[in-house]
Amino acid sequence: MSPGGPRLSGKVALVTGAARGIGRATAVAFAREGADLMLVDIAADLPGVPYPLGSESQLAHTAELCRETGAAVRTARVDVRDLAAVETAVKETTARFGRLDVLVNNAGIAAPSGRAAHEIEEHEWQLMLDVDLSGAWRTIRAAGALMTARGAGSIINIASTAGLVGYRHFAGYVAAKHGLIGLTKAVALDYAPRRVRVNAICPGSVRDDPRVEGRMLAEIARALDVPVAEHEQTFVQAQPMNALVEPDDVATAALWLASDESRQVTGTVLTVDGGFSAR
Amino acid sequence: MTCHALALRVPASADPGPVLDAAVRGWWPELPDRWPVLWHDEVPARFAEHRLRAELHRPVTEGGPAFRAVLLRYEDGGAHLVLVAHHALLTPGVLQDIAHVLLGHRPATEVTVPLGCDKPPKGPHRPRIDWATGEEGAGDRTGVVTVPVPAGAPAAALVLARYEHRDPGDGLPAYATVLDEVGPVDPTFSHRLPFQSAPFPLTLVPRGTTVELHHQLRHIDEASARAFARHLTHVHAQLGHRPLAEIELIPHEEAERLLPPPAGIPRPAVPSRIDTAFDARADRHPDAPALTHDGTTTTYGALRERAERLAAGLRAAGVRPGDRVGVRLERGADLVATMLAVLKAGAAYVPMDPAHPEERLDRTARDADVRLVVRDTAPYLGAARTDRPRNRTPRDLTPKDPAYVIHTSGSTGRPKGVVVPHANVLALLDATREDFALTAADTWTFFHSAAFDFSVWEIWGALLTGARLVVVDHWVARSPEDFHALLVRESVTVLSQTPSAFGQLRAVDRGAKEGLSVRLVVLGGEALDTRPLLGWFDRHPEDRCRLVNMYGITETTVHVTAATVTRREALAASRSVGRPLPGWSVSARDERGRPLPTGAAGEIWVGGAGVALGYLGRPELTAERFVNDPYGPGRWYRSGDLGRLRADGSLEHLGRIDSQVKVRGYRIEPDEIRAVLLEDPVVTAAAVVLSGDAFEDAAGVRIDAYVVADGDTGDVRRRAARLLPDHMLPTTVTRVPVLPLTPNGKLDRDRLPAPEKPVSVPAPTGDLVTALTGVWEEILGVPVGPDDNFFELGGNSLYAIRVGTALRERGLPALSMRLLYTHPTVQALSLAMADE
Repeated sequence: MSPGGPRLSGKVALVTGAARGIGRATAVAFAREGADLMLVDIAADLPGVPYPLGSESQLAHTAELCRETGAAVRTARVDVRDLAAVETAVKETTARFGRLDVLVNNAGIAAPSGRAAHEIEEHEWQLMLDVDLSGAWRTIRAAGALMTARGAGSIINIASTAGLVGYRHFAGYVAAKHGLIGLTKAVALDYAPRRVRVNAICPGSVRDDPRVEGRMLAEIARALDVPVAEHEQTFVQAQPMNALVEPDDVATAALWLASDESRQVTGTVLTVDGGFSAR
Repeated sequence: MTCHALALRVPASADPGPVLDAAVRGWWPELPDRWPVLWHDEVPARFAEHRLRAELHRPVTEGGPAFRAVLLRYEDGGAHLVLVAHHALLTPGVLQDIAHVLLGHRPATEVTVPLGCDKPPKGPHRPRIDWATGEEGAGDRTGVVTVPVPAGAPAAALVLARYEHRDPGDGLPAYATVLDEVGPVDPTFSHRLPFQSAPFPLTLVPRGTTVELHHQLRHIDEASARAFARHLTHVHAQLGHRPLAEIELIPHEEAERLLPPPAGIPRPAVPSRIDTAFDARADRHPDAPALTHDGTTTTYGALRERAERLAAGLRAAGVRPGDRVGVRLERGADLVATMLAVLKAGAAYVPMDPAHPEERLDRTARDADVRLVVRDTAPYLGAARTDRPRNRTPRDLTPKDPAYVIHTSGSTGRPKGVVVPHANVLALLDATREDFALTAADTWTFFHSAAFDFSVWEIWGALLTGARLVVVDHWVARSPEDFHALLVRESVTVLSQTPSAFGQLRAVDRGAKEGLSVRLVVLGGEALDTRPLLGWFDRHPEDRCRLVNMYGITETTVHVTAATVTRREALAASRSVGRPLPGWSVSARDERGRPLPTGAAGEIWVGGAGVALGYLGRPELTAERFVNDPYGPGRWYRSGDLGRLRADGSLEHLGRIDSQVKVRGYRIEPDEIRAVLLEDPVVTAAAVVLSGDAFEDAAGVRIDAYVVADGDTGDVRRRAARLLPDHMLPTTVTRVPVLPLTPNGKLDRDRLPAPEKPVSVPAPTGDLVTALTGVWEEILGVPVGPDDNFFELGGNSLYAIRVGTALRERGLPALSMRLLYTHPTVQALSLAMADE
């Protein structure tokens, strides 16, 4: 908590992909700073994604960690490919908390990947874009009117350094994340007159912190068929700060964008990548 | 540089001086002429101990004496002989031998604690290092408590040794350590320590006139740290005045306060027997399903009727109240009916698993002095038909009568029959019924051998709560696939499993399409590793299926404590087995039966409603293990298990006291090794086997690990090397498709394959020095001398990882990060690596 009091005091945030990883770290950071939360996750495995996604138990655990800080928390199982489900979650948020101030579009998948562009099946391409790009648009579709009507709010899209540069054999993911940055900038202009801010965060390689049960890095390594330790080492060396990014590093960046401290910041891309994209 | 130290108290009557000198020359002829007694003056005890502390950190140089001896004389005429040796040359065991010879083969009256002396890195670089893993950045929040204890290192070491229940000669545990005197606080730094967060859960830093306790809040809360500080001052006040063995951790008054509060026992209004409680169920709901076997369901009424006919048959065959009757039947309706019949006849049943070897069964029958053994129910049913009874339990039978005798194979070899009365079983159900919400709507499995007391819980847990018991056949119990299908088919809601068996079931469940109806899983019979449960929670969220880990002992009626395990515990790899059941109480005691404070490890004593009557026909053994509390009321069972109580009243189980084995003078904790292996993400199950005979040939003892893993076992061993001290690192790691289980569902060591070849070969030291110097120079970019400190040259944890990689690339032995931090010079590191 900062000296001036909780930084998100009285605010209500909706976080997608909240069961684990950056989603969990962000939810807990927000809760600690006084926000009440609607936490959503698919909480089920997705056919076509070659690794387990968040589970109900993990989502419940994130909620428990948030409640320990005194936050009021609701959870819902939401697939961001399903607009009706996303709309229901937003409605539930306002029904329970009366408002929605912060939207964190964090839900995303890293695989199926690991192949050249022409080797990707069409349904795989569609799946990647549907979750990682269109998923963020759907929550904006569901919450945008509400936020602009109130004339306040912060939308934070968790993109990736893959939204800034290419990565070999990750065409779908890179395209979706580049798209997400484009979406961020366009919506920022749409909503600027209504004082709703829209920003993107591009995390570099984030360590799979067991406390938040992250597994993105391990899954990317698996998609590339290299040992996790070797993959980590490669990225540590690629990031000039000589370290992997921690989920908390991303969460604190999101915290700043969510708070009024960043009130003049919109349409920006905040990289949290240990200097990776500086060279 | 790691040293071993040994201090022996020499009685006032004996002057060891001349003996010592002569003995040493005779026994250790290659010692240099100058006998290395360091000082021989009379010194105040406290000062001597302080000097000793400093001495321990002075390395015993190569070519110098193999060990140093210090004789500390006290005003009372007594003395301490202190031996300090470089451990590569002399193990603690050898030191003891030397001391034995030095003292003219007189038995030492007392052995004092050794002082650990692993040095933390010094210099301006204080990387945030998690000392347990060698990882950077894992800085836990820590608290600091400071207590005024001048020259506090010896007292701190002593308190720690007591807390950890360590024998002298073991070195200090990885759990806590005492650092070298650090000196006065440097005002230019917020804290002048070589670390940013405490490297151990508890790190003690003596600093002139005070001792600082740095505690990781994840492991030790502030109240516990303050209690530790209190005990530290209490012990310090006694040092030098009392023999070490008599030094108390805590004042007697505080010890009494530590006794567990009288257990609030939710006793039933009218104490009951198993058979009468069953009859009450059968009276109320005679048509309710009681037992399902092979698709056939028997009702409560029918089961009672069959039991009564059998009881009449048993009586006709001569069974009288107070007798014992062997029951040698396969799991099934007949087995349960016969158990009930034996109880109705006023006798106690002695389960005999037909799968056990004939000889063992004969011995069980002889030991229990059974009236008869039921191998088939037909003869007893036949007798009953002529004399159709509606017999009730005779009035002179009471809940205090023995209900069953179950044999446990103790470490001594000969099985002991544990006699458990009816009231204990009823108390067990009273203790759990409400918390576990056990109702007649439940369906339980009868999975375990009747000779394993987990089945007592399964059978009577189901039948005394009106639930349905589903018999799991011998072959179904051995096939996780078939068992899973049975759980689905019968809609089982309450499942009892050993962690090993549950691990196999989880593997099947991961790939299964059909969902389970299980709402409660009771795990018992073995230590539980919580981390592999994460996958189970993903499939079965805690709000739909509760997972309870129970620590139990046959001598205290199946269970003692219960802990609901959630994702949180699994993520924290908790070792807690929970709080005692209502009516049961738990206390940690030292070897004299004195209660130990919260956080201190000692023998687990169990009291209350579950304590058995004793061992059948073994009065001496019963008197030894079932004792009256020297510090308060009540009868306790001394479990022989090691544990500590946490501030929240829960118990941490730390393994068996007597199963701890020493390898090359170090104490080995197989459970700790296993826990580390299981932390590896690719490992889903692990077992650790110690082989060789520690008494015949200490160096011949080896540690072999078996893992069920999705990856290379060499990598598994390398990762384990980052967490385990070298003496605990398994020599071999062998991959197996599945861990073999015994009929009781515990690990079957005999069916493990022969271990694979050892994984790495150490290189000669000379090459290592050259190689290490080369690697350091390359990575640090500066010239490196043999005694230059890695961190003072600009090394940090990232460079440390690169050193490890570079060594691996050159085919040199794996480097554990921990080793580099404890041995930050080329000279020290090469020696330490050569030891590995």
